Amino acid sequence: MAMLLSKQLDPAFKDEVMAEPGGEHLLRCYSCGTCMATCLVRRVNSEFNPRRTLRMVMLGMREQVFSNPTIWLCSACDACYPRCPQDIHISELMGAIKNIAMREGYEPPGPVAQVDELACAGCGMCVMACPYEALTLVTKEVEGQEDRVSQVNKYLCMNCGVCAAVCPLSAVHVEEYSNEDVLVRMQAGGWLTDKDRFPPDQPRVLVFNCNWCTRTESDWAALSQFPPNVRIVTIPCSGRVDPQFILLALTEGVDGVLLIGCDPGQCHYKQGNFVAQGKMHLFKHTLGQMGIDPARVRFAQTGFDQRGRLPALIEQMVEDVKEQVLVGAAAS
Amino acid sequence: MVDAARHPNIELLTYTEVQRVEGFIGNFKVLVEQKPRYVIADRCNGCGDCAPVCPIEVPNEFEEGIAPRKAIYIPHSQAVPLVYTIDLDNCIECYKCVDACGKLDAIDFSQQPKQTWLDVGSVVVATGFDSFDPTPLKEYGYGRYDNVITTLELERINNSAGPTAGRIVRPSDGEMPNSVSFVQCVGSRDERFNIYCSGFCCMYTIKNALQWKQTHPDADVTIFYMDIRTPAKGYEEFYRRAREMGIRFIQGRPSWITQDEQTGNLFIQAEDQSLGQVIELETEMVVLSTAAVPREDTDEMGSVLNISRSPSGFFMEYHPKLRPVDSPTDGVFLAGAAQGPKDIPASVAQGAGAAARAARILSSDTWEIEPIVAHVWEDRCVMAQGKKCGICATKCPYNAIFTEADKAALVTAAKCHGCGGCVAECPHNAITQMHFTDAQIFAQLHALLAKEPEKKILAFMCHWCSYGGADTAGTSHFEYPASSRGIRVMCSARMDMDFIYEAFRLGAGVVLVSGCHPQDCHYITGQQVGAERFERLAERLGKMGISPERFRVEWISAAEGGKYAQVIREMDETLKSIDPQALKEENERVRPALDRRLRRLPEVPDVSRALELELVVVE
Repeated sequence: MAMLLSKQLDPAFKDEVMAEPGGEHLLRCYSCGTCMATCLVRRVNSEFNPRRTLRMVMLGMREQVFSNPTIWLCSACDACYPRCPQDIHISELMGAIKNIAMREGYEPPGPVAQVDELACAGCGMCVMACPYEALTLVTKEVEGQEDRVSQVNKYLCMNCGVCAAVCPLSAVHVEEYSNEDVLVRMQAGGWLTDKDRFPPDQPRVLVFNCNWCTRTESDWAALSQFPPNVRIVTIPCSGRVDPQFILLALTEGVDGVLLIGCDPGQCHYKQGNFVAQGKMHLFKHTLGQMGIDPARVRFAQTGFDQRGRLPALIEQMVEDVKEQVLVGAAAS
Repeated sequence: MVDAARHPNIELLTYTEVQRVEGFIGNFKVLVEQKPRYVIADRCNGCGDCAPVCPIEVPNEFEEGIAPRKAIYIPHSQAVPLVYTIDLDNCIECYKCVDACGKLDAIDFSQQPKQTWLDVGSVVVATGFDSFDPTPLKEYGYGRYDNVITTLELERINNSAGPTAGRIVRPSDGEMPNSVSFVQCVGSRDERFNIYCSGFCCMYTIKNALQWKQTHPDADVTIFYMDIRTPAKGYEEFYRRAREMGIRFIQGRPSWITQDEQTGNLFIQAEDQSLGQVIELETEMVVLSTAAVPREDTDEMGSVLNISRSPSGFFMEYHPKLRPVDSPTDGVFLAGAAQGPKDIPASVAQGAGAAARAARILSSDTWEIEPIVAHVWEDRCVMAQGKKCGICATKCPYNAIFTEADKAALVTAAKCHGCGGCVAECPHNAITQMHFTDAQIFAQLHALLAKEPEKKILAFMCHWCSYGGADTAGTSHFEYPASSRGIRVMCSARMDMDFIYEAFRLGAGVVLVSGCHPQDCHYITGQQVGAERFERLAERLGKMGISPERFRVEWISAAEGGKYAQVIREMDETLKSIDPQALKEENERVRPALDRRLRRLPEVPDVSRALELELVVVE
């Protein structure tokens, strides 16, 4: 690592950040690392370290801060804020840094949601669902015609996919987690369509697992221990799940579907779990009307301090589904 | 304690509460209430036959609630005096203890609280501290996870006279843990709870860790810390020994602790800053090093003794550097953690200091006080004329003024500290402060504003804070415009409305009144008396027609030289931004109103007459 030379530092940088709304309490930080130990973004990018970023700002490492793509990764979940002993609103501080970077012409590396403007009908569902107010409806020319379409602000979008899940026309594309990507993961190895692969005492259970509510390494490890009749699809947020995924699975004869999201107030994308909760409530009601047993679908939440709860939730679901299936088989 | 109890000149009053303190330095009268023990102290020999027969068990406060005690009990085995006490809130009055006591016949359920007035010369406050309750720090799981305990709980478990006879066990399964982690700064150095450093937790944690390691060399002992603070003599060497013993020190504040339901083991997540990597450490027991916090009854105690609290909540000393043992009230001294978190050597030193300071008073027949006390002109005080007033007494931070119908207010000079709040508040100008008389201050005003008053910034400064701030500005070479003129008084409480009226009447450009920050006031509540007055004053000046930017109130501490300079610079700019002609016109316009306000004063505008009056008093 190269030596840091004082003449390369910009001592005014910290003042600039502190003058920005949200940056006020920067100098209170004494680098205890609580934020870093809380933050889960490190799992998607090992370079991410809010403590180090704050330190770099304090020292005046202007170029290094702005050219570091990790400054765009804070999703303002505010898990660190209530733990910070110096009461620094770290996500707002990151926001202040982002604002300056944006004005100076730095761009987030993405990925961000993409709107297929030809398919978009301008209904505005995504605008309402977006936790970051990153989507707006604009009137613009699409293929020679005036059209009202949704537009993504690349500085605000965190690629959570909540918009993609609510779009009735599948007009929003989220990289890595597009509808196709999710379906491919559901189907991999013919799991979805191969109905007769597992005996009745091994019911097929599909689990949609939010990337962020699994907070301990041991719980992650536990996920790979489940037998093949349990298919675990990791998604960025419980709000990413389109009820159509679940309908498709049920149509293909999957015995149970479990959607796992973060506990209330702990969503990595501010309120994606809240969107999912509302959606699942309505969806289960609709299932009843369709004549499908709503007990086959479950929405469960887990959080920070619940070590071992994630595998337990899945095990419980599998047990309950197995019981139902066996009872059903006996009845027929 | 045993020595103290045996000393011929020491009378121990245990199980006793101080209820009222009257009088002043050298002549205090203290009302104490001795609570009934329901055991006759002279007869009880501490044999302990009563406790085993008592059927009631309640959590033992001394053991941090991890062991039971009976309803008839002694607080701990080395208690002085060794006399049992019945906790009547829990006693079911089965009288089994009476039978057990037998011939000694020491139990007496008819005892009543006993109040006594004591004559004392000085008072030492050594009420100690409380330990922070870490339950609000949800991320550490105290109260939810059995194996997360506080240091005080560990101290009891670790104590050979404690509930486990010194065998370290963990609460969930009673087994000896092979690994333990200590978490530092729980509730201290934390904006959400207490911003101060409790100071001694680093040392006691290292002590506990070392002790653990010495008795169990194979144990895995980890300390999570933000900074290790070992500044006193021999402390760093102790820390080094702990490192050499193989105790693991991890710099990084844990963000959360989770529990494995099956094993009861705990997982601590923290960033190891030396590595820059987050680690998860599995440990069998977690000990939280909780902050030292002011005792719950500090406010109550403070109002009984008339002593104030620092921003941290502990009792405030008279001067942080030069009089760290004295309280703001003369004759009352502070010792130990009641004044601020401190360890044993510091507490012993302060205790010895307080005893010596207290003894000085006891061994003197007379006591010199500062000469700047308040004095009442009896002929002017309307109370003496049978009218209702008594404002002075309500403003005095020291209860030094006594008022009674049909008599002039009476100042107890020994209690007066000379803040001047009563002087400024008296609506009839019936009180003066020696060496800070109205006439003296008016004379200064006249001298300072003799030439080109409309180009001047007149600054009133309190002796302890803003005057110190101005001084710091000077010694630190913080430049500020030469247009400012300062008048020093003892406290912002002394800054009479009339002074500011007179300043504007004489044509001053802008006026600054400055004093201590609210919780720094040297005179307990003097700053509040001033602040309330300045609010009213700003309103009145506005109504008279003086532009609001010409009057400014600022709280500046003695350390804030930069702030003082900045305030003066800003005021200078304000002054320059006002058109001089308009300023003069404004002054002419408000002069009749100011004249009316000041006409009632015999001193104004004739300073020589006022000085004459003052001389009469001084003689």
